[in-house]
Amino acid sequence: MTKYSLIIDNEACWGCRTCEAACGQEYDFRTKFMTVTEEGPSQGDGMTDYMYRVNVCRHCDDPPCIPACPEDAITKRGDGLVILNREQCSGCQSCLEACPYGVIWFNEPDQRALKCNMCHHRVDQGLMPACADNVCLAHCIYFGDPESIQEVIERKKQKRQTK
Amino acid sequence: MVEFKCSNVAREMEVYGYDSVVKSSCRMCHGGCGVLVYVKDGKVKKIVGDPDCPINHGTLCAKAFGSIQLAYHPERLTHPVKRVGPKGSGKWERISWDEALDTIAERILRYKEDYGAESIVAGYGTGRDNEAAVYRFANVLGSPNVLTAGHFCYGPRLATTIITCGSNPVVDYENQPKCIMVWGNNLVFSNPDSYKGEPFSAAVDGGAKLICVDPRLTRIAARANIWLRLRPTTDAALALGMCNVIIEEQLHDKEFCENYVHGWDKFVDRVKEWPLDRVEQVTWVPKEKIVEAARLFATTKPAAIQWGVGVEIQANLTNNDRSLIALMGITGNLDVPGGQVLFQTPNIRNVGTFGAHGMLSREQFAKRLGGDEFRLAARFSIINPKRVWDAILEEKPYPVKMLFLISTNPISTRANSTEVYRALEKVDFMAVSDFFITPTAALADIVLPTATWLEMDYVADFWKRHGYLVPRRKVIQVGECRSDHDMLNDLSHRIGLGQHWWPDFEQALDHILEPNGITWKQFKEMDYVRGEVKYHKYRTEGFSTPTRKLEIYSTVLEKMRYDPLPQFIEAPGSPYSAPELYKEYPYILVSGRRIPVFFCSEGRQIPVLRDLHKDPIMEIHPEAAEKEGIKEGDWVIIESPRGKIRQRAKLFAGMDPRIIFAEHGWWFPEAKDPNRGWQESNVNMLTDNSYENCDPAMGGTAIRTLLCRIYPELPLGGRKND
Repeated sequence: MTKYSLIIDNEACWGCRTCEAACGQEYDFRTKFMTVTEEGPSQGDGMTDYMYRVNVCRHCDDPPCIPACPEDAITKRGDGLVILNREQCSGCQSCLEACPYGVIWFNEPDQRALKCNMCHHRVDQGLMPACADNVCLAHCIYFGDPESIQEVIERKKQKRQTK
Repeated sequence: MVEFKCSNVAREMEVYGYDSVVKSSCRMCHGGCGVLVYVKDGKVKKIVGDPDCPINHGTLCAKAFGSIQLAYHPERLTHPVKRVGPKGSGKWERISWDEALDTIAERILRYKEDYGAESIVAGYGTGRDNEAAVYRFANVLGSPNVLTAGHFCYGPRLATTIITCGSNPVVDYENQPKCIMVWGNNLVFSNPDSYKGEPFSAAVDGGAKLICVDPRLTRIAARANIWLRLRPTTDAALALGMCNVIIEEQLHDKEFCENYVHGWDKFVDRVKEWPLDRVEQVTWVPKEKIVEAARLFATTKPAAIQWGVGVEIQANLTNNDRSLIALMGITGNLDVPGGQVLFQTPNIRNVGTFGAHGMLSREQFAKRLGGDEFRLAARFSIINPKRVWDAILEEKPYPVKMLFLISTNPISTRANSTEVYRALEKVDFMAVSDFFITPTAALADIVLPTATWLEMDYVADFWKRHGYLVPRRKVIQVGECRSDHDMLNDLSHRIGLGQHWWPDFEQALDHILEPNGITWKQFKEMDYVRGEVKYHKYRTEGFSTPTRKLEIYSTVLEKMRYDPLPQFIEAPGSPYSAPELYKEYPYILVSGRRIPVFFCSEGRQIPVLRDLHKDPIMEIHPEAAEKEGIKEGDWVIIESPRGKIRQRAKLFAGMDPRIIFAEHGWWFPEAKDPNRGWQESNVNMLTDNSYENCDPAMGGTAIRTLLCRIYPELPLGGRKND
């Protein structure tokens, strides 16, 4: 079965937060499933450690959130998407603690967990996830086959002369 | 296997059951990005980028995604109102468009009769793409006074490039520059004119070398080959120092400089005044780095400078702009593929023609406020705002009786807000056109509900210099909202000047497009029109300047009695020019750091954007924070001799510890008070609008930097942060 991944080339991210707003639009501005955070600089000339990171579910190969969930609300599909079924969520927050990337959030209003389901309602209809559908002005968000994405990212890294 | 492709319009329509999709041009900032607007049941449901648009190639910024919540905002003004309580009381009564426009028309005619057309000042901000219509309105009426940001933002780039090389040279991203020097610009965050962040980003990914000139670390600076961390407002010294290195090391384009530069020898003498030791001392940039950057920029071809408003909003902005044009020129990068190109707009009635500047009589031109002092600005129909406040408050040199502010919020965005407020409070009559009752609109007599970009037809941003024309197409109607263009067309008929306008505004669009042989109806079926792309035009036609050469030595400035060569002049209110003040106010405040989700004073009431940036943030170096007892997230008081404000501290090591960065444009639409907290965090409570603090040629108010002191709002133990 074809595997789908959502892969971020954080080195290329400018921190403009367009992806967050695009994600919000897809969910009628009720919620969003990603955040962009700033890292560094540790010192004034922090040219090496000042960057942005797009934080969104990695849809891990072996997701630690799945065994952590007592309600079996999180499942991994054959195509790689890790889906949280919010209907089944009891709000115990075990998955938040299990996630090594901190990309599962707790939604106070309805007392349930929140995470990116890779826009599976779009993917299943042959549409790209909202954040990866050519919105990013740095072109740093990729959707598709993980191996070919890594190749593209590697090629771009080679071409960049600035670092 | 499913074939995925980007921007799959047909599939989107099918899956979501949209009724239609309209191509248009976004205007949540200074504009230009092509968009696809999906509509269902008469409402906009989704906005995405248009992959066919050459400006953004389908990508967007966060602001574009705020459009839907702006258009349908519950607090949006959707019908005209008149004020029924005292100014600022927040008491309004709904009126009809007829009553609103007839009242405004009656006032215009009365003031024109009693005090002359110059007593009526029209003004616009940067967000509504209405400048050509506002200028046309004022010029036809006979008022030489249009209040804009042009004195310190973009206007100077236009004026200085027009007098120096004939037009504004734009980075030719489509031909892949090999070196880009980003100077005072964070175009991936901000609202750049002409091309946007995407083509820049693609050029960097395509292998272009990157130099960044910025006092603050940005991600662009972090990714650059060389980052020049200059002291704020020393841009001209740095540029002249780089020119000095380039000329001394014979790295300049000798053929170009010999044949196409006016005043070359005099310029060489001028740059010799800028040896590296002096440049280092002035700019705080180590001289080795200056040499390295100058060599990289001069020897990598083609190269280009991506400049922004960071270079402006300074007391030396004319020189800053002109020293950068000199750098573009002497390295042979002007009008070459992949360099910095004087693109040609398609053959249309351009913004100057449509703006009817030719209709203003000599007599009225001579009355332009501040025209005798800020002489370059006056040539470009730009005025200094304080001249208007003085004319209201002191009635000098003549009284200004009426303000017609069309999508502008000067209480937030012009220097010395306290004085602006007093002027707006005093003015005899004020009409405002805007989306919301802003702090400025709160002082108006009549407020008109204006249309967003989703609600108008227009030849989008036809003043831009990238050579493209893109249609903006009306998608929806909200309440009784009308575009500023359509409103001014209507109002002109009511003041008896209809013969210079049209029965309705669509004919104005035909008028703009007519020289191109197309009508609006034809144009709106097209993706875009591009002007002829020609390089090296100066070789056959010369530059469009009095000498037909690149006027690094400006004959225009010389005639206006300004220094004809670019020079560095120390800013007023800097540690060096005001050492006594610096003892009491020991930090350099830099105002106006760009926030990617807001455009100037807009957007704070749009939930999707405000959720991304809740509070006004001041940045402080960790060393300075420790010294001042300030912790991450604390509310901090920033104080200048003119006032104090509060913003929230973010500790940030990517700058000199002597500098503080603050945000501009803040007011609080959510505040209960009808004045919406315009003083609380508004950086212009601190800025100085005295004439000594303005650029002598453009009248640009130097609000980029000022001296300040800082302290925690609640010292030790009393920390209350929400």
